[in-house]
Amino acid sequence: MQQAIPYKSWPLPCIDATSHRARSTTTLGHNGRGKDVLNIVSENAVIVLARKGCCMSHVMRRLLLTLGVNPAVHEIDEEDEAGVLNELGTICKGTENNKMVQLPAVFIGGRLFGGLDKVMATHISGDLIPVLKGAGALWL
Amino acid sequence: MNSPTPQFVPSRLSIYEPIHQIGVWGENFKRNGNPNTSTSLIVEVDNKLENESETTSHEMLAPTNNYEQEASKPIDKIQRRLAQNREAARKSRLRKKAYVQQLENSRLKLIQLEQELQRATQQGLYMGGVLEGSHIGFSGTVNSGIAAFEMEYGRWVDVQHRQICELRTALNAHISDIELRILVKSGMGHYFELFRMKSTVAKADVFYVISGVWKTSAERFFSWIGGFRPSELLKVLVPQLDPLTEQQILEVCNLKQSCQQAEDALSQGMEKLQETVSSTVAGGPVDEVSYIPQVATAMEKLEALVSFVNQADHLRQETLQQMSRILTTRQAARGLLALGEYFHRLRALSTLWATRPPEPSLP
Repeated sequence: MQQAIPYKSWPLPCIDATSHRARSTTTLGHNGRGKDVLNIVSENAVIVLARKGCCMSHVMRRLLLTLGVNPAVHEIDEEDEAGVLNELGTICKGTENNKMVQLPAVFIGGRLFGGLDKVMATHISGDLIPVLKGAGALWL
Repeated sequence: MNSPTPQFVPSRLSIYEPIHQIGVWGENFKRNGNPNTSTSLIVEVDNKLENESETTSHEMLAPTNNYEQEASKPIDKIQRRLAQNREAARKSRLRKKAYVQQLENSRLKLIQLEQELQRATQQGLYMGGVLEGSHIGFSGTVNSGIAAFEMEYGRWVDVQHRQICELRTALNAHISDIELRILVKSGMGHYFELFRMKSTVAKADVFYVISGVWKTSAERFFSWIGGFRPSELLKVLVPQLDPLTEQQILEVCNLKQSCQQAEDALSQGMEKLQETVSSTVAGGPVDEVSYIPQVATAMEKLEALVSFVNQADHLRQETLQQMSRILTTRQAARGLLALGEYFHRLRALSTLWATRPPEPSLP
């Protein structure tokens, strides 16, 4: 049951909205090559990038599931990590954090949203569901 | 206690009750063998029972009346003395409480030191010769990190107590909202300070934080990932905040739900971590003597525990922040007072529990 939340308009992501229908896949496999990652990030409304066996990504995933979102999860092998983070750094230029992406990270609407900190804080302040809806990850 | 004058005895002995009960009372005395009561009274009654038959109650009326008449004069003195006794006993109990609380703290410190020692020994086994020099330094750092936290936390509790009293006074005195705002800000900041302290000591020893040994026993009972549950916090706060506007009720309801969802996600993450560590430690053949690889891998995984403590504290902080956004200044002040008072009472409960009397033995 979704609670009533005051309507907020969120900027639509620059990427074509039709490519955002969330895939129902969960774990996309361990293919950690940089370019593949960029594709995966842009193709999914919500995707969690994490190291293998990371418990924090489990927390992220469970929280999103509770909200009615089935996020894609992409696990990154240790050896691929540096390359992947580099690639991700290119698409994160222009957002607030110019630093390297910290894992686990969630991407909403093709854009870096943040780590678990950001997800928790946004959820508590009641702003997470509108963001998810705006990215097409949640209907209702 | 052997003076000839009649003495006031506790009412259960019923010396003012009708005659026919005196015989029973006397027998009760004999049965219980209570050394505290006046033996002279027993002797007097016994003698009278022996010398006269039980039915000649008439003669026994006289001593009873004497008791009633003469007892009314020394009653005041006696009652005053009893009141003084009660007061002295009360003070003595309070002193005892304080002393035992001190002992309890020392005992906890002792337990921590023993754990430190145990850990240092185990690390000595694990790290072997190469790191022999540094492992002592490591546990030394852990020790000082914990010692520093303990001192700071002791001060934190004192400041907390002072702030609660200030809030209470301010709310009763109906000071202006502007002044109240200052108190609210410093109250919130005080909690954030605790989260910072915990983050620092978690890096030194996350098990220390999670175990909750730094808290009192009743607080530890409610512990969730090294602190209070944010949803519990809301349950304590909200009843104290009446009246809330419709809008506020809605927002608090949303907050409760978000909080619970975030808590559940973290709890599930913790479970996953437990499973991971457990299976790592248990892995590998048990008929081989060496378990170092399993333990070493498990150590790495346990690093995640620090993140959990940080995330849990972050959730607590965000919940407090959101509450302060929803509430008016006055409501926020009442909320902080309620919260501080709650923890204060939990600490008092712990002390009371520690000083509870042992199982009473029959006289």
